[in-house]
Amino acid sequence: MKPVNWKKIFASSIWVTVAWVVGLIVVWEIGATIVAGVKRTPENVLPHLYQIIGSVFSTQKVNSSQTAIQLVLSNAWVTLARAGIGFMLGASIGFLLALLMSRFVAVEKMLFPYLMIIQMIPILGMAPIVLAITKNIDKSRIVIAAILTFYPVATNTLSGFKAVEKEKRELMYSYAASRFDIYRKLLIPYCIPYLFTGLKIAAPMAITASILVDTLQGGGGLGCMMSQSLKHAMTIYVFWQIVFLSAIIGILSYQLMVWLEKLVSPYPKELKNGGTGKAKELEA
Amino acid sequence: MRNWKESWNRFSTVFYPILFGALMITLWQTGILHKILGADTFTLPMPHRIYTIIKENLPVIMQNVQATLIVALGGLFLGSLLGYLLGVVAAIFTKWGKGGLTLASAFNAIPIIAIAPILNNLTKDVSPNANIRSMVAKILVVTITSTVAMSVNAYRGLTEIKPFSMDLMRSYAATERQIFWKLRLPNSLPFIFTALRVSVPGCVISALVSEYFAEYIVGVGRQIRENIVLAQYATAWAYISVACLMGIALYVVLLIFESILLKGRK
Amino acid sequence: MQAIRKLPETDAVVNDGVEIKIENMSVRFSDRTGGGAIDALTNVSLDIRQGEFVSLVGPSGCGKTTLLRAIADLQEPTSGSITVRGQTPREIRLQKKFGIVFQNPVLYDWRTARRNVCMPMELMGIPKQQRTATVSEMLDMVNLQGFGFKYPHQLSGGMQQRVGIARALAIKPEILLMDEPFSALDEFTKEKLNEELLSIWSKAKKTIVFVTHNISESVFLSDRVVVLSPHPGRISAIVDITLPRPRHLAVKDTPEFSALVSKVRNSFEGV
Repeated sequence: MKPVNWKKIFASSIWVTVAWVVGLIVVWEIGATIVAGVKRTPENVLPHLYQIIGSVFSTQKVNSSQTAIQLVLSNAWVTLARAGIGFMLGASIGFLLALLMSRFVAVEKMLFPYLMIIQMIPILGMAPIVLAITKNIDKSRIVIAAILTFYPVATNTLSGFKAVEKEKRELMYSYAASRFDIYRKLLIPYCIPYLFTGLKIAAPMAITASILVDTLQGGGGLGCMMSQSLKHAMTIYVFWQIVFLSAIIGILSYQLMVWLEKLVSPYPKELKNGGTGKAKELEA
Repeated sequence: MRNWKESWNRFSTVFYPILFGALMITLWQTGILHKILGADTFTLPMPHRIYTIIKENLPVIMQNVQATLIVALGGLFLGSLLGYLLGVVAAIFTKWGKGGLTLASAFNAIPIIAIAPILNNLTKDVSPNANIRSMVAKILVVTITSTVAMSVNAYRGLTEIKPFSMDLMRSYAATERQIFWKLRLPNSLPFIFTALRVSVPGCVISALVSEYFAEYIVGVGRQIRENIVLAQYATAWAYISVACLMGIALYVVLLIFESILLKGRK
Repeated sequence: MQAIRKLPETDAVVNDGVEIKIENMSVRFSDRTGGGAIDALTNVSLDIRQGEFVSLVGPSGCGKTTLLRAIADLQEPTSGSITVRGQTPREIRLQKKFGIVFQNPVLYDWRTARRNVCMPMELMGIPKQQRTATVSEMLDMVNLQGFGFKYPHQLSGGMQQRVGIARALAIKPEILLMDEPFSALDEFTKEKLNEELLSIWSKAKKTIVFVTHNISESVFLSDRVVVLSPHPGRISAIVDITLPRPRHLAVKDTPEFSALVSKVRNSFEGV
């Protein structure tokens, strides 16, 4: 066992982050104290953090059968499952489209301008109409999440295919590699980091989309509960719990992609530019 | 032979997308698209009908566009300004700044939907006029959503400086202030546009979504929702089309600015 | 190891000693902006014998890389012909008889050194057992024992280029084409790799076409140095290098070496 290097641990950036989090909590609490002094119903504006945490562990039932946190978590599952399905669907379509566009110039030329336009138009604003067309809240959650996922994945993967160095392609050409082999051994492994750039952008967006679609109709899901709580159909702390939970889920979905990328790509990527892992020139 | 190939190449770059667009509109107008999507002409009206509605209701639509534009651009401006200043502060206090920005980019994953209602509540007392206090709340939502992208990129632009240019400045014994104005600030300009390419489409989306939750009923986003609630799908589509046009127009304006300001770089 | 089918008529060509025959070849690039065309190579004729080490040397823009790429079927000649063992470069490429080493190592970041060397053999469908044996043999040959399981970014520039050479040799090519393989390396590493390349060449008995802009390197390595000059790209001289083999770095200190270097240098025209 190596001795623990305390000096190194204290110097690390973790402490900076911790200090920032503590700072934010302090700012929040100062705000909450001020609000508590001026407002008639401070919990609607800015409750103390301990009040929110307390509500998580409260055993008081907010409807006929569930406590606040049980209600929130069971609805979170509905929202997450749909966001997840839409995300996977959108990611697959995006990847396949990028593959097709890299393979057939005509397809690329045909679709690329539209891919650019899609990123300029507010898809989330179209959520209500998607609901009107599909007439099904679950379907529209999936569709919106899929659309929002598909284009960052497609554009990033395509730029990955295009970033492959000419010499790497020529190497495959000089070995008279089949097209299938070129994709399997060069292009697809090469664009994996680009694919994950797209997935990291898309994951929190898919969740946002799913929650937003919830708010459009009754029936369940985080967004639905949030609207009800805001309309005082149940305790306002359900709203605050959902605010924090959705933030946590959003961040976790991003982290999940970071973690997946590490799992999929076998080599330690962070060394790539650092040069710390560079071996000494072999002495003859 | 080679020339022919090249001109076909150039021609097809324009021709193929137009072909695709024409195909989609034909499918739509002939009702085949409805069959594919399983929709009817009531929820997905024909293109000409949407066009007629836009033409007939132009004054009302423009009022809503104006409301949304104020929110989107106001928030974008405030958020970008705040973001850039945060980037400057972070670049001065590098060790603490970097940690703060890492945390800030984590907050970027927070859904807008969680922010919008909080700000609605926070701004209840700003003004007795519901229109004004809603506007403030909406602008704040957009401000928050566009701050992060700018601060992270501004920090990178102010600190990621080509290896020897800093040495060059030092060799002239330039002060920190001179280094900032002559080196760091110009260096960050392309990064500002990188941020804007994310936050310009983002500010339209945030504006539309914040309108859903706002107290006062105005704006393109809110009109989409209200018209759907009233089952006036054709009108809702008219507003959706307008929202798309807004997004595209703002992006094109950004690209024009970028091409002027970054002329000769890269 | 890898059985390479030799066609009878090819053997006849091999027997008279010429491996690569270039006749009156020209390559012209049309200028995109619409102005004039660029003559990368004009009327180049060159015979390269089997097992010969030939360097193409010249300043930038002289067409040395274009010539190599034409042999490798990466660039189509505008006129004239190239035959390799009596066949077209394309036929030779499809038979996978070229090994190419680029200026950048062109390694796949997601593969270890071993698996990079393995890659072309996978493409050829060589069974795994044989691949493993060949990879070890090749890594031994380029002095990279013990570095097989490192990823490219964990290796120094010189080591990366050795992996590139090992990969090119792994499929037992007939012809090794090297495009400024050591130009990005420092002088010390370069000299060491030059010496190693000669020892690999003497063991593997390949025909090597080596592009460089370094005169001393070309003299040290080659049997013949082909000097190219730009505007338009052409062969301005072919210098026979008569230094005895095996060569070691010490040969660079001899007056014969210096004389040959001067001879090559004085062969450039124009510029």
